[in-house]
Amino acid sequence: MAIQERIPMREQDPEVRITNFLSVPLGYSAEEAVAEAKRCLQCKVPLCETGCPVRMDIKDIINLIADEKFEEAFLLSKKDNAVPAMTGRVCPQEDQCEGKCVLDKTGQPINIGKLFAFVADWARDNELMDETTPQENGKKVAIVGSGPASITCAVDLRKLGCHVTIFEALHMAGGVLQYGIPAFRLPRDVVDYELSYLEKIGVDIQLNQVVGQNVDFEELKKDYDAIYLATGAGAPRFLNCEGEKLKGVYSANEFLIRVNLMKAYKFPSWDTPIFCGNKVGVIGCGNVAMDSARCAKRLGAKEVYILYRRTKQCAPARAEEIHHAEEEGIIFKEMISPCRMLGNEDGWVTGIEMVKTEFKGTDKSGRPRPVNIEGSEFIMEVDTIINALGTTPNRLFLSNVPELETHSWGGIKVDDNFMTNIPGVFAGGDALSGGSTVIEAMGNGRDAAESINKYLNK
Amino acid sequence: MKHTITRKEDLNAADYVIDVIAPKVAKKFRPGNFAVLITRSNGERIPMSIEKAEGDKITMYIKRLGKTSRELDTWNVGDALYKVIGPMGTPPPLKKYGTVVFASDLVCGHAENNAMCRELKKIEGNHVISIQSFPTKEDVYPEKERAKKDADEYILATGDGSVGRKGHMIDVLQELLEERKIDMVFAGGDIPALQKLSELTKKYNVPVMTTVRQIMVDATGMCGSCRVFIDGEQKLACIDGPMFDGHKVDWEAAISRLAMFKGKEAEAMECYNEKMKAVV
Ligand SMILES: Cc1cc2nc3c(=O)[nH]c(=O)nc-3n(C[C@H](O)[C@H](O)[C@H](O)COP(=O)(O)OP(=O)(O)OC[C@H]3O[C@@H](n4cnc5c(N)ncnc54)[C@H](O)[C@@H]3O)c2cc1C
Ligand SMILES: Cc1cc2nc3c(=O)[nH]c(=O)nc-3n(C[C@H](O)[C@H](O)[C@H](O)COP(=O)(O)OP(=O)(O)OC[C@H]3O[C@@H](n4cnc5c(N)ncnc54)[C@H](O)[C@@H]3O)c2cc1C
Ligand code: SF4
Ligand code: SF4
Ligand code: FES
Repeated sequence: MAIQERIPMREQDPEVRITNFLSVPLGYSAEEAVAEAKRCLQCKVPLCETGCPVRMDIKDIINLIADEKFEEAFLLSKKDNAVPAMTGRVCPQEDQCEGKCVLDKTGQPINIGKLFAFVADWARDNELMDETTPQENGKKVAIVGSGPASITCAVDLRKLGCHVTIFEALHMAGGVLQYGIPAFRLPRDVVDYELSYLEKIGVDIQLNQVVGQNVDFEELKKDYDAIYLATGAGAPRFLNCEGEKLKGVYSANEFLIRVNLMKAYKFPSWDTPIFCGNKVGVIGCGNVAMDSARCAKRLGAKEVYILYRRTKQCAPARAEEIHHAEEEGIIFKEMISPCRMLGNEDGWVTGIEMVKTEFKGTDKSGRPRPVNIEGSEFIMEVDTIINALGTTPNRLFLSNVPELETHSWGGIKVDDNFMTNIPGVFAGGDALSGGSTVIEAMGNGRDAAESINKYLNK
Repeated sequence: MKHTITRKEDLNAADYVIDVIAPKVAKKFRPGNFAVLITRSNGERIPMSIEKAEGDKITMYIKRLGKTSRELDTWNVGDALYKVIGPMGTPPPLKKYGTVVFASDLVCGHAENNAMCRELKKIEGNHVISIQSFPTKEDVYPEKERAKKDADEYILATGDGSVGRKGHMIDVLQELLEERKIDMVFAGGDIPALQKLSELTKKYNVPVMTTVRQIMVDATGMCGSCRVFIDGEQKLACIDGPMFDGHKVDWEAAISRLAMFKGKEAEAMECYNEKMKAVV
């Protein structure tokens, strides 16, 4: 039997979408979703589920979609995933659920991510939420940060009856989902709706509260029965090379916070400005680099370069993002590494010196290891540089709580139950790992909720 | 939380003072802290030094500069800001320094001057000298908004000598350094002036901590926009500062980076002026 091909996802035309911040994929219609779901073989042993870090009931959900039982499908997906509309859009599915689908060998795995996004969007359009009225258990838990790890932990603990308060430093909740990932990948009405669910079930979200700065950690310890720290890894990493002080040199976080949290793309009707030149060099090739490059394109840059010391086959970015970036005219310059940044007498960046690389052996992650080729330096003209080299754990909280044990690189140390060296204080998400994925952070939040619940009932 | 303005008065033709309800910020305030204001839901996050905290209110001195500060100037007592966040920053320790000077020549510096002198004076063993300089007589703040009552000695200076000592804060400080033993200098205000002031204190071998104002976005240490270079090492003004050892600051970079959005700010101002014209 010939394998039926994936139902294609309708998308905004690249020429059009580089002029706006609207969602690139237009989403499945109900008919398309049902047709895609019907391609599923309903395997006896659904391998797809082994690839999902939160073990969603993928097979059954797809079956419900095939039967047009969207409400049931939605409720079942909510069982293991607090925010299916978001993970459906941002999970690296090719490495997870879809990568494990038996049909992957044919190159046509079931489009699980887009199916789940469809179901969640359908529920939102129909104002459907999984109503839970938790039985109060009298326990109080404080959660620091409001990213995906916190969201999941909060939902799980609230459902168990705990009184949950989230403290978020910024003026909007969501962590990276709010300040990092652009709206053309994750529309903000999706984020808002998923967050409104927290409030609906009675999670108290306190914005503008920087724990360790204007909220005392000691007070939290006194006032709450347990604390969950998911402060993320938002501190930008720089190259510490010559010229990084120049104007026009950004960390990806600054660029993305200006664009996404502060809506600088709507300047001047929104107040926060952004400067984006005509020739933009983005250092790195992860999701953060793709987001920066695609935002720069939308801000009007004529040429946007991804500068990467490996090849894009080794890149940590989601396959879909690389594909979309290429469609949008982002130029990939592979096997080159930055040396220093050059500027003019006014202190503006004018170029970047790069050196060519070659592969020699493999590194700890198993990827080929790039080494610089001496004498192959060359200069590229750019007027904006965005550093997307990755981030390290946010240190504002950590530096104010010296008794908390951390690794030398800043990650919080925890035991097998996600408890830190301070009894009753748990931690998770990127604050442990220094950066991973939305769904890993969520899985982490779920495990921590379980441990916290055990701890509270000891 | 409604961040209502409870007082708004002119300090001079360019600067004004506001009191705003912000109980949580007020409770945790220490001199040298700043607050982050967002005036409207589509507004910028702008840092402002806190002059004092009293009850559930904080006081800030604001210069009419660009779009946000001018627009806020059109607001009145009873209007409310969208968000007031803080207190932010890591202020220098309040301790016994000996003879300690705070010098300022600009709005944010004056606010910090008042705040720091008030607390430094309470510590035994400190002799607190405050220097505040203004361009001319008309620019001098009302007496109750100056550090006069908060310092052991107070020196007012004007550039043209129309009132007080003639000269800039740097000239006054130089005289002091010549005359007697100064143990510690704090300073805030105009960035190029702070560079000169730092160089001066170096000549006299006196330690100095100055505010290094930089453009901030989140002010929680996540963006790196406010990066300053201290002895070659990168620090963040919003969480490690904004006060740093003036002898170690890379002033050229600080001065240059502060001008990064000049073009955009002018555009915002133009747009705002057009809008105001339409309103009138
Ligand atoms: C630009 C970008 C694109 C990405 N794209 C993808 C993608 O496509 N797919 C994917 O799976 N992953 C992606 N990731 C990674 C993913 O977003 C993260 O792994 C995930 O968000 C981590 O979640 P978290 O809950 O640990 O922390 P975060 O989402 O980082 O949230 C932490 C929150 O804690 C707050 N906080 C910090 N300190 C304090 C304090 N002291 N007090 C109060 N609050 C505090 C912060 O303000 C922040 O809101 C991306 C990351 C970035 C930056
Ligand atoms: C720690 C700190 C304390 C400050 N305290 C005071 C104070 O007490 N009183 C006061 O009047 N001003 C203070 N400022 C400066 C104040 O933040 C800016 O004047 C304000 O942001 C200007 O906004 P605007 O829209 O009116 O002007 P814009 O036209 O946006 O900017 C005018 C100038 O202000 C500076 N600026 C702009 N945006 C920012 C920003 N986000 N962060 C820092 N500087 C910026 C730049 O030098 C710019 O050229 C402080 C700044 C910092 C960093
Ligand atoms: S959560 Fe992510 S990995 Fe799991 S099924 Fe959904 S898209 Fe796939
Ligand atoms: S592995 Fe693929 S085909 Fe099999 S149940 Fe999962 S999604 Fe369906
Ligand atoms: S303002 Fe963003 S790191 Fe300081």
